[in-house]
Amino acid sequence: MIGRAPRWPTIVLGVFGFIWIIPIIGIVMTSIRPLAETSRGWWRIDSFTLTLSAWQRVWEAYPLAPAFVTTAILAVLATVGTMLLTPAAAYAFHFLKFPFRRLLLIIIINAFVLPQQVVIIPLFQLWRELGLIDNFLAVLIPYIGLSFAWSIFLVKNFLEDFPTEVVEASRIDGAGPLQTFWYIVLPNSLSSVFATGILQFLWTWNALLLPLLYLRTNVPLPVILARVNGTYELNWDLQSVAAIVTTVVPLVVFLIFQRQFAAGAETRTGAKD
Amino acid sequence: MQDSVAPQTAGSRPGVPSRLRGEQSNLLAAKRRVRDWPAAWLLITPVLILFGIAVVFPLIDTIRLSFFDIKGLAKPKFIGVGNYVKLFTDPAFRNTLLTTLTFTISTTIISVGLGWMLAMVSAFAPRQTLPFRVMIFAAFGISEAVAGYMWIGILRPDAGGLLNAVIGLFQPGFAQPWLGDPRTALWVLIIAASWGGVGLPLMLCFASVQSIPKTLFEAAYIDGANHWQVMRNIMMPLSLPGVRVAVFINLLGALRAFDIIYILTGGGPVRSTETVGYFMYRESMTQFKLGYGAAATVVLLVAVLVVSIPAIIQRTAGAR
Repeated sequence: MIGRAPRWPTIVLGVFGFIWIIPIIGIVMTSIRPLAETSRGWWRIDSFTLTLSAWQRVWEAYPLAPAFVTTAILAVLATVGTMLLTPAAAYAFHFLKFPFRRLLLIIIINAFVLPQQVVIIPLFQLWRELGLIDNFLAVLIPYIGLSFAWSIFLVKNFLEDFPTEVVEASRIDGAGPLQTFWYIVLPNSLSSVFATGILQFLWTWNALLLPLLYLRTNVPLPVILARVNGTYELNWDLQSVAAIVTTVVPLVVFLIFQRQFAAGAETRTGAKD
Repeated sequence: MQDSVAPQTAGSRPGVPSRLRGEQSNLLAAKRRVRDWPAAWLLITPVLILFGIAVVFPLIDTIRLSFFDIKGLAKPKFIGVGNYVKLFTDPAFRNTLLTTLTFTISTTIISVGLGWMLAMVSAFAPRQTLPFRVMIFAAFGISEAVAGYMWIGILRPDAGGLLNAVIGLFQPGFAQPWLGDPRTALWVLIIAASWGGVGLPLMLCFASVQSIPKTLFEAAYIDGANHWQVMRNIMMPLSLPGVRVAVFINLLGALRAFDIIYILTGGGPVRSTETVGYFMYRESMTQFKLGYGAAATVVLLVAVLVVSIPAIIQRTAGAR
C-alpha cells in the first residue's frame, strides 16, 4: 500500500488461513494413519504411524473407481456440451437480429436465480415416463440446460468488448453469419468459452442432488460419499480417502484457475450448488 | 445455410474506415438483418430446446403441480390452493421457514462480514497475505458434500471430535453431540456452511479494495490518518459494490442449499435443520407427496425472486 507493509495483517490472515485448512488437514491425516491412532483424534501425536492401508483397501470397500469414471464422463460431456452450444447462442444474441431476440435473452439470463430444486419434481416425473431414470441423459440434459442461464451471460458480456468493425468487415467481405461466427468470432473468444467450461466442469463434478435422484447404478463420487457417510460403520480412514478422491480433481482445477473463478462467480452466482 | 454474397463495392472494403462507408453500409446491414434469421435460429435452437426442457418446463410444471394432490402413482387430484393452506398450517413447515431465515441470514452475515474484514486487513499487505487468502479461498473450491463430510469429523460427539477436544482442554470430559442435539445442530451447520462461504466475499471485496485509486490512500496517510481511519473512511465505503454482490450471491446460495444439509444433518435431528430447499426434497422425493413438495418449491421460488429483484432489474436493463 504505502511504504513498508505492516506485519499485523499477515499475522491476522495467517491465523485465519491455518484455521481454515484444519478440516482439510483432518481428512488427510485420518486417511494416512491407522484407525486405532486417530479414533481419539487425528491431531494426537503420542504415536504416529504412516500407512497407506486405507488407500489400498478403499477400492475394494467402496466402488470408488467406477464412480470416478462415471463422474469424469458426466463432467466432461456436460462441459463439452456447454462449451459448444454457449458461444453459438451468445454470438447469435449479440450480433444477429431475429424476432423475439431480446425477450429470449432476458428470460435466459435471468434464469440464473432459479434454484435447482425447481427442476427436480417435473423432471423426475418426465424421466420416469420416458424411462430415462438411471440414464446419463437424465442428468446431462439439466446440467447443460441449466448452465445456459449463466454461461450465455458470461460469453455475451465478453462479446460486448469484441470489435464490431471486425465483424462488420467480414460480413461486408461476403461471409455469412455462420462463417463469421466460425472463422472470426469463435477463435477470438476462446478465453471466455474456456472460463465457462471450467465453471461448468467444477459444478457438474461436484453435483449431488440431480444424480442422487436420477441415477441408480452408475453414480458419481459425491453420491458414493453420501452413501458411505450414511452408514454407521466407523471407517473414518476409508471414508476420508473417499472424500479426498471426490474433491481432489475439482480442487486442483479450482486452485489453478482461481482468478477466473472469482470473476466468473459474479455471473454464475450460487456457485456452489 | 449458405448466405448469398453481399454485393461488393469499393466503399465497403474492410480496410476502409467505417465513416467512409457511410450510408451504403447501413443499407447493406439492413438487408443482411433479414438474412440473419435462419442462421440465428440454427445457432440458438439447441440451446432453446435444452433450456426449455431443463428450465422453462420444470418451472411451469412445478407451479402447476403445486395445485394438485399427488400421492405416488395415483391419479393427481386438483385441490386449488389446498397445498398452500396445508403448508402454512403445518407446524413443521412453519418451523422450516424460521430455519431457512436463520440459516440464510446467519451464513450471509458470517461469510460476508468475515470475508469483508479479512479483505480489508489483507489490503494493507497484499503480497504477504496472498498464500493465506488462497488457503481461505480453497475452502470455497471444496464441494459442499465433501465440506459436510469434513465437518462431521470435527463435530464428532466423542473426544475424537476436534471441537469437543478443544473445549475439553478447558472443561475436561466435555462431550457435546453437536449434530445430534437440536439446540446446536443448526448453528454448527451454519458454521460449516460459512466456512466454505467466506472465500468468495474475501476475493470479491479484495478486488473491490484493490481497485480504489492509490492516490486516495497516499493523500490520507500524508494527512496523518492511521490504518484504522483509512479502513473505516476509505476502504469500507468504497468496497461496498463488492460487498453488495457478495451479499446477493450468499443469500441465493443459502436459500438453495441442499448438499451440505443432506450430508451433515439430513435435516435432523427432529427436522431442526430443514430449510425450505430441503423440506421440498424430503416431502417430494422421500415421502412422495409431489404436489405438496411442489408447493414448498414455489414458496422457495418466491423467496429467491424477492432477493433477486435488484439483480433481475439490472440484468434486464442491461440486456441489449
